[in-house]
Amino acid sequence: MSMLNADLIIGIFAWVVGGVVFVTTRELSPLGGMFVNYVLVAIFFLGALMLLKGFIKPEKIQFFESAGERRNIIIGVVMLVVYLYFMPKAGFLPTSYIFYMAFNMFLAEAPWARKSILQSAALSAVVVTFFYMVFHYGLGVPLPAGAWWE
Amino acid sequence: MLDAAISGLGHVFEFYNFLSLFIGVVMGILFGALPGLTATMGLALLVPFTFTMSPASGLIMLAGIYVGSMYGDAIPATLINTPGTPAAIATTFDGFPLAQKGMAQHALVTAAVASSFGSLLANIVLAFAAPPLAEASLKFGPSEYFWLGVFGLTIIATLSSGFIFKGLLGGAMGLILSTVGMSPLGGDVRLTFGFPELQAGIDLIVALIGFFCLPEILTSIVGQRRRSYTSRQVNPSLKVIGEVIRDLFRQPVLMLRSSFIGTIIGFAPGAGGNIASMVSYNEAVRWDKHPEEYGKGTIKGVAASEAANSAMAPGSLIPLLTLGIPGSPPAAVILGALMLHGMRPGAELFSAYADVTYAFIMGLLVAAFLVTLIGTFGSFVFSRIINIPARFLAPVVVFMTILGSYAIRNNVLDVWIMLVFGIIGLVSNKLKFHPATIVLGLILGPFVEEGLVQSILAGKAAGSVIRYMTLQPISMVLIAMSLMSALWPLYASWREKKRNPARGAREK
Repeated sequence: MSMLNADLIIGIFAWVVGGVVFVTTRELSPLGGMFVNYVLVAIFFLGALMLLKGFIKPEKIQFFESAGERRNIIIGVVMLVVYLYFMPKAGFLPTSYIFYMAFNMFLAEAPWARKSILQSAALSAVVVTFFYMVFHYGLGVPLPAGAWWE
Repeated sequence: MLDAAISGLGHVFEFYNFLSLFIGVVMGILFGALPGLTATMGLALLVPFTFTMSPASGLIMLAGIYVGSMYGDAIPATLINTPGTPAAIATTFDGFPLAQKGMAQHALVTAAVASSFGSLLANIVLAFAAPPLAEASLKFGPSEYFWLGVFGLTIIATLSSGFIFKGLLGGAMGLILSTVGMSPLGGDVRLTFGFPELQAGIDLIVALIGFFCLPEILTSIVGQRRRSYTSRQVNPSLKVIGEVIRDLFRQPVLMLRSSFIGTIIGFAPGAGGNIASMVSYNEAVRWDKHPEEYGKGTIKGVAASEAANSAMAPGSLIPLLTLGIPGSPPAAVILGALMLHGMRPGAELFSAYADVTYAFIMGLLVAAFLVTLIGTFGSFVFSRIINIPARFLAPVVVFMTILGSYAIRNNVLDVWIMLVFGIIGLVSNKLKFHPATIVLGLILGPFVEEGLVQSILAGKAAGSVIRYMTLQPISMVLIAMSLMSALWPLYASWREKKRNPARGAREK
C-alpha cells in the first residue's frame, strides 16, 4: 500500500472546510459572525502551518494496512449508508432486521454457511425486537414507521 | 446543621427511602451506561414517578439516579470506547486501553471507587460550605467564563501527540462545529446548509458516538477482523478489587485534586462534567511524575476523570440549592422536581425544609457508597461483556450507537451526522490526528463564544475591553492557569531533554 502525506491531507482539508465556512457565513450579523471569523483565522493559519510542514517535514502514513482492510471498511460503511437511507422509507423494524442480520453475517468467518445464516437471523430477531421494545414502549421514542407504509 | 444532617441520614435509611435510592442508583447506572441516554433524560423521565412519593423519598430517588449515572457512563467508555455521557470523555483515554489489555475490571473498579470518592468529598462540601461557595459562583461573569473555556482549550496541549499545531487545528475545527445552529447572541442561523434540524446545533452525544465508537469498530472489528475487543481475556477476581483500592489510596493527591476540580467546576453554572473531567485529566497528566503512562492505560487517568465528573454532580447542586441557579442540565431537572414539591431554593430550603434538603444531600452521599458496592461487584459482570466475541458484540454496539444517536432528538439526521463523524474519526485516527481535540472544541465552543462576545460588548460599554477581560481577579487567576497549562508541555519536554540528552536527540 502506498504512503500518504498526512500533513498535506490535513492542511488541504482545513482550508477546504475553512473556505466553505467562509463563503457561507458572510451574511451573518456582526454578533453572530464575530466568533466564526476569529475561528476561521485560526483554521486558515493552522491549516497553512500544516501545509508548510507537509512540504518541509511530512509525516508519512499508510492509510490501510491491507487491501482486505480497505474492502471490509468500505463494505461496512456502505451497509450503514444503505440502512440509514432506507430506514425512514421502509421503517425501523424491517430495515433493522435485515441490517442486523447482514452485518452479523458479514463479520462471520463463513457468512453463507447454514449455521451462520440461522445464527444471524435468530440474533437479529432477538436483539432488534428487544431494543425496539425498550426504546419504543419503555422510553416512548417514536421510531420511524416507514414512509412507504403510511 | 449537624442535627439536620443526622436526621437526613436517618430518613435515607428508612426502608422505603433506601429502596428508592437503590432503584435510583441502578436506573442511573443504566441511563449512564447506554450511549444516547443521559442523566438529564433519566431524571426527566423519572421525575413524574416521584410526584406520588413524599418529597424526601422522591428527591432521594433522584439523588440515586444522578449519582448512578455519573458512574454508569464509565462502563461503555471503558468497554467500547464510547462515553455513556459527555462527562466520561476523558475516561475513554485510559479506560479503553486498559480494557484492550484485558484489564477492564481494573478500570471499572477504579471508576466506581473514584466516582464514590469524588461524590463523597463534593457532598461534604455541599453539606457544610454551600452558602459561601454559592456566593462565589455569582462572581462568574462573561469574561470569567471565557477564560474558563480558554483554560479548557489548553488541554489540547496534553491531548496532542507530536505536532501541537495539529491538535490546535483539531480544536479550531471543533469550535467551528460548535457554531452550527442558532448563534447565542444575534440569533443568526449558521452553517445549517438548509437542514432545519440543525438549528439546535450538533448534539454532543452524537459527536461522541461518531468520533469515539464507530472508528474503533470500523477499523478493528470490520476492517482488520479482530476476533475480540481485547488482546487478553478479562478474568475478574476479588484480588483485582483489593489491588485497585490499594493503588488508588496510594494516590491521595490525585484523588483529592480531581474531586476538588470537579466540585469547583460543578458550582460554576453551565460548566458540566465533561469540562470537569477534561480539566482534571489534564492536571493529572501535568503533575504526575510519569506523564508518559497516560493514554496507554493507567488507572490514574480513569480515576482523575471519574472522581472529577462525579464530584461535579453535588458541586452543581450548590448554586441550585442556595440560589436556585442550576449548575448543570440534570440540576435543572432537580430544580423542577423541587418546585413541584413546593420547595423554593434559597435559605428556606436549609431552614423550613431542612429535613427534606438534608435527606436529599445524605441521599447523594449514601448513593456514592452504593455506587462503590454496585460498581465494584458489578465489575465481575460488566467486565465479562468484553469477552464476548467481537463478531457478536460489534453488531449490538453498532445498533446501540444508531439507536442512541436517533433517540436524543428522534431525528434520522443525527444518525447521519454520527456516521459522518465516525468516518471523519476513522480518517483522523489513521492520520494520527486525535479526534478528542475536535470534541474538546465542540464542547467548549458555546462557552467560549458566549463569554467572548458578551465580554467584548460589556467591555466596550465599560470603556475598555482589555481591562474588562483581563483585570478581574478570577479572570487573572484563570489567565495564569491557562498560560501555565499551555506552556507546561513545552517546559516538561525541555526538562526531559536536559535530564536525558540522548532521548532528546532521538526525538529530534
